[in-house]
Amino acid sequence: MDDYEGGLVVCFMCGISAIVHKMASSEGLAPVGRELVAMLDSLAHRGIDSSGVTICGEEFPADYIIRLWCEGEQDAEAQMGRVQDIVSEYGGSVVASSVTGGYLRTEIRYGGDVGRLAEAILKLQGMHLHSIGRNSEIIKDVGTAADMDGKHSIDGIMGTHGIGHVRMATESRVDINHSHPFWAYPFPDVSVVHNGQLTNYHKLTRKYEDEGYTFQTENDSELIAVYLADKMYKGMKLDDALHSAVDDLDGTFTFIASTEDGVGYAKDRWSAKPMVATETDDVVAIASEEIALRRIFPDEIDRAEPQEGDVKTWLI
Amino acid sequence: MVDLDASALTTTELNRKLRELAAQGTEHIHILNPQARHNIAVGLLDTCSITIEGSVGYYAASLMDGPQVTINGNAGWALGENLMKGKVVLTRNAGASLASSMRGGEVFVAGNAGARAGIGMKGGSLVIGGDAGFMTGFMMQRGTIIIGGDVGEGVGDSMYEGTIYVGGEIGSLGSDAKIEEASESELIQVWETMERHGIHDRKKFTKIVSAKKLYHFDSLERLEKRAV
Repeated sequence: MDDYEGGLVVCFMCGISAIVHKMASSEGLAPVGRELVAMLDSLAHRGIDSSGVTICGEEFPADYIIRLWCEGEQDAEAQMGRVQDIVSEYGGSVVASSVTGGYLRTEIRYGGDVGRLAEAILKLQGMHLHSIGRNSEIIKDVGTAADMDGKHSIDGIMGTHGIGHVRMATESRVDINHSHPFWAYPFPDVSVVHNGQLTNYHKLTRKYEDEGYTFQTENDSELIAVYLADKMYKGMKLDDALHSAVDDLDGTFTFIASTEDGVGYAKDRWSAKPMVATETDDVVAIASEEIALRRIFPDEIDRAEPQEGDVKTWLI
Repeated sequence: MVDLDASALTTTELNRKLRELAAQGTEHIHILNPQARHNIAVGLLDTCSITIEGSVGYYAASLMDGPQVTINGNAGWALGENLMKGKVVLTRNAGASLASSMRGGEVFVAGNAGARAGIGMKGGSLVIGGDAGFMTGFMMQRGTIIIGGDVGEGVGDSMYEGTIYVGGEIGSLGSDAKIEEASESELIQVWETMERHGIHDRKKFTKIVSAKKLYHFDSLERLEKRAV
């Protein structure tokens, strides 16, 4: 539960954004990291508790990119060694690794079940799994987008598409793990940024736990990611999963989901949370407010404000 | 006429400058480079004319009592919020909660409006050339809303007083809202209002008012009661 509606008229809690470069996979990667940071920076008035991005479309000589956070920064190097041991134990191999403060990032070759590997890594004490992706990674931290960029050099990361979030927490705690985006554990490359509150969070969470899912946080936005990933795993396309979410999720929400090959948004039936979107032949930009779109398009733009129950997807 | 480059000023500086210029009797103020920023032209109480060249963010031209503001672009949420007197013209699309709680004056949007246009409206005139979204006129208490295009679900939900005219399709009526036959003189007034804004399509507007089945209040405010 991320934000509080300050009144009938306008809320300024949490900001979301997305960028899609429709031609990037064929014509070359785009500065998705820089664009997301710029958009989030313009939305700092919507929240400075934490910031995060999912950046997709990077090309690596590996099967998966794993992003982790280690509670004890001093243990990070040792924990990285343990993660590498687990990858080897499960039949994989490490291509590259890096440690930044308490953050661990590793690229691996691995042909096995991602859920089993994730479960094994999570048994390491103090380790938190932020993402496993074939072509995407989640980077998130406490503080502003500028703080996050300064620490994680997001500005230089290229990609095809991505989503971002700035958070103003009012109900669940402020820490790195409760920052957005939320990965749909254990489905690679599915993540969500969300502005709103789900009122049937506990009911749906229990349902999914009964089905064997394990939630990593107590944040309702994680449920959206798991919900969508579950639907897609069972054969739904992203667009259908988003429509289904509008029917099944209660509360006020505007969220953007990112997958290996696209982005989609959904808006609740009360049209309670803001979002605007603009699209050219090459680029789609979505954000809580137009002020963020103007960081990508400095000149006047035509932008649409999605209405109650609206869903839209872009696949690249 | 005075030009103000918004990109060179903080929002506080810009609004302070606008108040100073209006108080000095400046007839026309031209704002450049608003870049969809929030709270531009807020709290202006003196009569003047302001043109904003570009899109604005939330609460633009709100808490005003007198000025005429034209915005050549889009607006975010709550454009013209709590307008007391004066006029706001938007050439493109408005976000949600357009003209919320306005009490007087006129707000005209040439394009579409988002959800809850005219929410809590207590007077004045809100005119939308295009479509309007979900729960337009929610809890309106007075005034007139005219929508040239279609309107979404729940129009006029829980309205106490006031009138909504819709030129296009109606998604659905809100709780306690009903359709009433518009008189010829009312239609002529609606058409004339639209024509003043350059919309000459004389549609058969549908009139929506409160059914007053949930109406448990009198319509006078505290000071008005005292006067009676």
